[in-house]
Amino acid sequence: MSLFLYSERGSLFHRLHPSAKIMGLLLAFVAAMAFSHPLFLLPLALVFVPPGLAAHVGPGLKRVGWLMVIIGIMSFILWGIFYPGSAGPSYPLGPLRLRQPALLYGAGMALRLNLMLYAGLTFLASTRVEEFTAGLQRLGVPYSISFALSLSFRLVPIFTDTAVTILDAQRSRGLDTEAGGPQQRLRTYLPLLVPVFASALRRTNLLAIALESKGFGSGIPRVSFRQYRFAGADAVFLLLMSALAAACVTVRLLGYGGVA
Amino acid sequence: MQDLVRMWSNTRMVVLSAVSAAVYAAVLIPFKAIPVIPGLTEIRPAAALPPLCSILFGPAGAWGSAFGNLIGDFFGMLGPGSIFGFLGNFLYGYIPYRAWRALSDQEPQPLSVTGWAKLLLAFLLGAGACALVIAWGVDLLGLAPFKALVNIILINNALMALLISPFLVAILYPMIKNFGLLATDLLEPAPRSRLSRVGLVLLIIGILGGLLAGNLLAFGALNPAGLGLPALSLPWLVSPFLLILLLGVVLA
Repeated sequence: MSLFLYSERGSLFHRLHPSAKIMGLLLAFVAAMAFSHPLFLLPLALVFVPPGLAAHVGPGLKRVGWLMVIIGIMSFILWGIFYPGSAGPSYPLGPLRLRQPALLYGAGMALRLNLMLYAGLTFLASTRVEEFTAGLQRLGVPYSISFALSLSFRLVPIFTDTAVTILDAQRSRGLDTEAGGPQQRLRTYLPLLVPVFASALRRTNLLAIALESKGFGSGIPRVSFRQYRFAGADAVFLLLMSALAAACVTVRLLGYGGVA
Repeated sequence: MQDLVRMWSNTRMVVLSAVSAAVYAAVLIPFKAIPVIPGLTEIRPAAALPPLCSILFGPAGAWGSAFGNLIGDFFGMLGPGSIFGFLGNFLYGYIPYRAWRALSDQEPQPLSVTGWAKLLLAFLLGAGACALVIAWGVDLLGLAPFKALVNIILINNALMALLISPFLVAILYPMIKNFGLLATDLLEPAPRSRLSRVGLVLLIIGILGGLLAGNLLAFGALNPAGLGLPALSLPWLVSPFLLILLLGVVLA
């Protein structure tokens, strides 16, 4: 996952069982989804941030933090404009009338989206591809499906390298990839999809033969060199995340945390 | 739809799903930096690939498109919206295959205007289903308004599916056929059901109806109360069309 956001550290989060991390991530989403009012989402941010820092989300945040800021701004603007209904006080802004509930909801959605992305980043910073697929298997996803997902992750950098090689080869033959605006560049790049795709497919038969020679699809139960043990820390983590999600949902069901 | 499960017992189909996913993700990721609605969608030249993979690899293309989109989200945009991204791209990679099989007995190498029209219709149905499912899902979760997203995804997907995918199919289909890697080479195709045309009609009704009703409701041209509909939020009002769409996928 080095192409992505995995951070090579030994934090508590890194050591958790992958299936506990997947369940924990889903419970974090449930907690964030419970509220739409920013005042209820802010305390949740205080709960989410320290575990993320402990899991070393820093390098990931450096890479995609700017996108998270834009997401927040865009979400605020979109919901500010498109929030349904006409209730609540409003303020004129040029041709628009900005309504207080819409602005509040927009701020809440911006915060909610960023909280969930941050939870996703925490997961990505502490989970390798093989851990993710092992977690999926533990949660009942069939082996061949989790294997295909794992193989896809591994093939991405190989195909990216192939694309770069093909691009370099075309450039050496005089293809100008820097000329023109975005439309012209798109027209230059798109035909390169054909050799990239063809090159990818040439590997298919070889890969299939290699897999079958190692017993893939034999139907015999598989064993794995790397064993992940569900420990006490995993149970405590899941218990805490379940309590958090249940508390958030209960508060919401009691009528708090929404935008009227 | 049994082919979606049967393919997992064929090693080549498993590898093809991974290859489709990786190529899709490899083209998606560089364009993550040019968002249209940040966090939800971006400029997507890669949107030309699911229809191509669908026509060539059938169910493996569908799983590949869904996995590829998920891998793209692992680049930092992993969230609950990823679930609907997965489902939407799955349909984008599956519907063209099913629709083509319902529309024609021929190979997808059309030589006539009618043949091209059928292929483009199959691609458009996939693009529409993807837009509808993702916009419906993210509105349901309160992540982005339906009307802000549905038409952007639809136009983005449809442009790539209409302008690029047909040419990729024309170039790559004979090559893949030579490799013996077409879905029809690797999986014994189930005989076409008598209900496949009914499924196709349901697909068209579900997708067109959902897009039209969603847009009319979202832009205020339709008033649910005036139509005697209950006061529900937009995603719930559009839900019946999604059920028709799913029934269409099953029957087509």
